Amino acid sequence: MNHAAVEARGLVREFKGGVRAVDGVSLSVPAGQIYGFLGPNGAGKSTIVRILTTLLAPTAGTATVGGYDVMREPESVRRKIGVALQDAAIDPFMTGRELLQLQGVLHGLSRRETRARGSRLLERVDLVGAADRRVGTYSGGMRRRLDLALALIHEPQVLFLDEPTTGLDPISRHTLWDEVRQLNTESGATVFLTTQYLEEADELAGRVAIIAEGRIVADGTPDDLKAEIGLPTLSVTVAREQLDAARGAMARFATPVPSGDSSVAIQLPEGAAGVAGVVRALDDIGVVATGLDLSEPSLDDVFMAKTGKRMEADEVTTS
Amino acid sequence: MSLALRQTGALSRRALIRTMRVPQAWVPSLFFPLMLMAIFSGSFAQAPDRIPGFPEVAGFLDFIIAGTILQAVLIAGTSGGAAFASDIEGGFFDRLVSSPASRLALVGGRITANIVIGVAFAAFFILVATIFGARISAGVPGLLLVLVFTVFLAAAAGGLGVTLALRSGSAEAAQGAFPLFFALMFFSSAFFPRETMDGWFKTVADINPVSYVVEGMRVPIAGTGDAWDALLGLAIVIGLAAIALLATLRSLDRRLKGDL
Amino acid sequence: MPSVFIPSLVMPLFILVATAGAFRGIGGLPAFEGSSYLAFTIPMATVMGGGFSGINAGMTLARDMEGGFVDRLVASPSPRVALVLGPALAAMSRSAFTTTVIFIAGLIGGVALPGLAGTLIVYAVAAAFSVATACWAMGVALLTGTVQATPLMQVAVFVSIFFSVAYAPREAQDGWLRSISDVNPVTYLLEASRDAELTGVSLSSLGPAVLAAAGLIAALGAFAMLGLRRLGA
Repeated sequence: MNHAAVEARGLVREFKGGVRAVDGVSLSVPAGQIYGFLGPNGAGKSTIVRILTTLLAPTAGTATVGGYDVMREPESVRRKIGVALQDAAIDPFMTGRELLQLQGVLHGLSRRETRARGSRLLERVDLVGAADRRVGTYSGGMRRRLDLALALIHEPQVLFLDEPTTGLDPISRHTLWDEVRQLNTESGATVFLTTQYLEEADELAGRVAIIAEGRIVADGTPDDLKAEIGLPTLSVTVAREQLDAARGAMARFATPVPSGDSSVAIQLPEGAAGVAGVVRALDDIGVVATGLDLSEPSLDDVFMAKTGKRMEADEVTTS
Repeated sequence: MSLALRQTGALSRRALIRTMRVPQAWVPSLFFPLMLMAIFSGSFAQAPDRIPGFPEVAGFLDFIIAGTILQAVLIAGTSGGAAFASDIEGGFFDRLVSSPASRLALVGGRITANIVIGVAFAAFFILVATIFGARISAGVPGLLLVLVFTVFLAAAAGGLGVTLALRSGSAEAAQGAFPLFFALMFFSSAFFPRETMDGWFKTVADINPVSYVVEGMRVPIAGTGDAWDALLGLAIVIGLAAIALLATLRSLDRRLKGDL
Repeated sequence: MPSVFIPSLVMPLFILVATAGAFRGIGGLPAFEGSSYLAFTIPMATVMGGGFSGINAGMTLARDMEGGFVDRLVASPSPRVALVLGPALAAMSRSAFTTTVIFIAGLIGGVALPGLAGTLIVYAVAAAFSVATACWAMGVALLTGTVQATPLMQVAVFVSIFFSVAYAPREAQDGWLRSISDVNPVTYLLEASRDAELTGVSLSSLGPAVLAAAGLIAALGAFAMLGLRRLGA
């Protein structure tokens, strides 16, 4: 009995000319998790999403979503998934409400049900005022929110979000994150999210797979992945005379690591949460910290360690 | 099964709404044929009586109605194909494919919409022509027969438009159907009787299936033939519709498989 | 630009072949006085070709406007009139090319050239119409600044040709159509071209044609100037 919400084994997708957009991807997402697929443009994220949402057939390998095989039982898969792809796929000449109605019918909901759920969703994504305007007049952020509403109208078990905040302003981005988190908590829906933004993967995902050139190069919780590379390092700058005292106090937390002439540095596994304790200890013995710096490895550092390239450097512009 | 029908109904409603909200999608299909109907009947009014070989008709207007309907249906088929292609370009088609919509409903919606538009326009042209003195010689049953022809014609044109859209995925390429339709229309007896044609042009018109469809449609309106002519035309238009729809299904299959 | 040019060449040719082929029987009407319908259609096809050339001038200008190219020209010291004059002349030469192709098609179909004067008149009428339609289309482009206005350019040109004597001589036309074609300047252009094609040259139709051409070019030229003046305002 398959309990994973999304599972893939050895997925390969080759295009004309021998280009392998997906080169042997295997993954397993337990129900209720927010799973992040992080990678630069062209890494194969969207291709994998298209395979998992029955839009594209794999050249090799298998995948199941909600327990159903995407190749052999696509209709069952479609009933269980909600899909919000890149570039919010909408019809500019219809109103938001009309699109919700249409989506409801396609999923076999009654008109009454669709209307009720539609109204609730429109409220939730804050589109009530714009619901009867043509979607072509919506801003980018509004279209994404409508996209989300359309993906949720039938209360799917697995929600696929392909680069949901690309091109959005920071406020819209954070609003969408809150929405996704709330949804995941309330309904227990599994969220399969692809993104090129480290912060997004860090903030939202319970588990992250880093993908480059069609292959998964790292897979784990954000914290675990970063811990593999290195632990957060706290560097405290103090006056020359107080250096020894500072070193002594901080050494009780962890063995000091190499640092500059006027600072003491130790690794803090608990990251920002542990800073207050160190500062208090220094304060107790009268040491004055003239500078504090907490540096953490980022997921980009993880990417660098695994692929030898920086992810952020490859980003040119957002859409 | 009934869910598939509901889905097709919703998708064809959506296609109709979209057409109505985009004037370029239906205005040419309505006014261009109407304008030509007026110009042709104004230019060739003397033809039925004076040209040898011209079949017996009450007036040129009676003669031209069938060709006018054909024009409108073909233009609408092209616009429908272009609209379908922009759904593909814009990603809306992906949304539909990843939904539980039946695969038939994916194309059935647009084609049904085309049929509705074709029948509505045909009725409108007949009304206008009647106001200007034309008469349907076979009465109400004749009118119904003309509308039956229109249904299959619209299915054929719509199917062809959607096929091109599926194969190319581009609205511009789908519009490329228009010159083809134009040629099919003109190199036939849509606007003037084959009996008055000559040489290679007549040969082309003789082998063009559209000639027989239009001539079949003309029988109930203008009485320019017998029941066999009408039946032949009907058989051919049903055949064209079947071919077009088969092509549509095949292109849909290929696109869904990712072969395109 | 070939992608714009080819259709404007193919369409008039297609119209010639399709019209002359489909409506050939019409030549049997007394009003045609025994002349072949192909010969009758050649002038219409050349005028249609002139119309397409003019529309192209407008489309190209609209595209240049969208691309910002026109803004640069306006900012430069060259006189604004050049913006319109150049394309109008280009439209004339395009229409000459199309007319030539039509004549060749006519020759293939068995219609001989109508003598020197007649041939020149056919060229001149098509060229005059191309200049007039170019002014119209460019005026639309200048006032709207978008390629989306192309259908407007096209519809006006087609309507002006269809509601003249495109398919039958005035004598054969139904009353209502006759009333319209009587007041349409394009009618007189076409009639002069047709007289030239069918009979060599007929002075009686030249006068009205020259007046009609002058009137059209003056009026539509003024329209284009209006568009020029509004530019960069």
